[in-house]
Amino acid sequence: MSRWFIALGGTFALAGYMSVMAKPIAFAGGYTVMAEYGAGTMEELQFFYAPRYDFSFGGGYLKLNSDETPETDNITYARVNYLAHRWNLDDAQANIFVWGGLGSATGNRFSGTVLAENAGAQADYETRRVYASFKTDLQRSSEFSHRIDTVQLGLAPYKHDYGGLATWFLVQARQYTGGIHRGTESALLLRLFKGGVWVEAGITNSGKPQAMVMFNF
Amino acid sequence: MKLLPRVLISLFFLVGASAQAVTIEMNVNGLVCAFCAQGIDKQLRKFPATADVVVSLEQKLVAVALKDGQDIPDAELRRALTNAGYTVKTIERTQTPIAELRERLKQSKP
Repeated sequence: MSRWFIALGGTFALAGYMSVMAKPIAFAGGYTVMAEYGAGTMEELQFFYAPRYDFSFGGGYLKLNSDETPETDNITYARVNYLAHRWNLDDAQANIFVWGGLGSATGNRFSGTVLAENAGAQADYETRRVYASFKTDLQRSSEFSHRIDTVQLGLAPYKHDYGGLATWFLVQARQYTGGIHRGTESALLLRLFKGGVWVEAGITNSGKPQAMVMFNF
Repeated sequence: MKLLPRVLISLFFLVGASAQAVTIEMNVNGLVCAFCAQGIDKQLRKFPATADVVVSLEQKLVAVALKDGQDIPDAELRRALTNAGYTVKTIERTQTPIAELRERLKQSKP
């Protein structure tokens, strides 16, 4: 299994592919709803409204379960997202997003509710056949500091068009800091989208499921 | 004698009407993801002059079918595409009916 990951990852790296992840801003006047289940270590639900094409606001809920210790943290946050830069190229699009927010957190290692701060960034590049993205997301408080870094590299077996079904095969590497998961968690994912519905599902190198669903409307 | 000017005036308006564009075709940069391009359709259908919208990632084309005798200013079109997250390269008004354009796009698919 791990040899498979290395081979696939190496193929993408050699091809020089860099690509995209789900975007936190849809379009001016658009809504984004996203739910993700990450191999038992993270569960996240987000809702954003974009009054402008480069700005959105909303909130989310994140549950982090350590697979090393009995630690569980529940974070509810309000967040703003900003499209720092977009490159609309002839055959590609690239973006840099940044975000920040505040919320409250509870956990089983501390009592009561503490203030939680959220900050993150995402860079992505996408053509109709290749996709690459890097995302870093930090959640910190007086009781914890968790950062999740995610890299996704994708390849589409065919060029989809508007109104049709898009299919992507992805490799993902995810690193947790703050005692949630030791080492790098890898995953193979299948991504499908049509219209305003996006579904992504796969399995990690430890055999755990990962899934994400997103709606733009 | 009075008939001739009337006929000429009628002909002038008929020619003018037939020269009215029926479709606006825009060449758009960054058009690579159908999921992300949902906003284009939504933004363009807000115009009262819009009868239909066609998006082609393959041709990097966004087309708007206009209602009879109506038009949308270029600046408004550019603003709508910017709000959807894209950059307009060119705008062209044509006499091609949207159904014919759809057929042409279907046939040009690999």
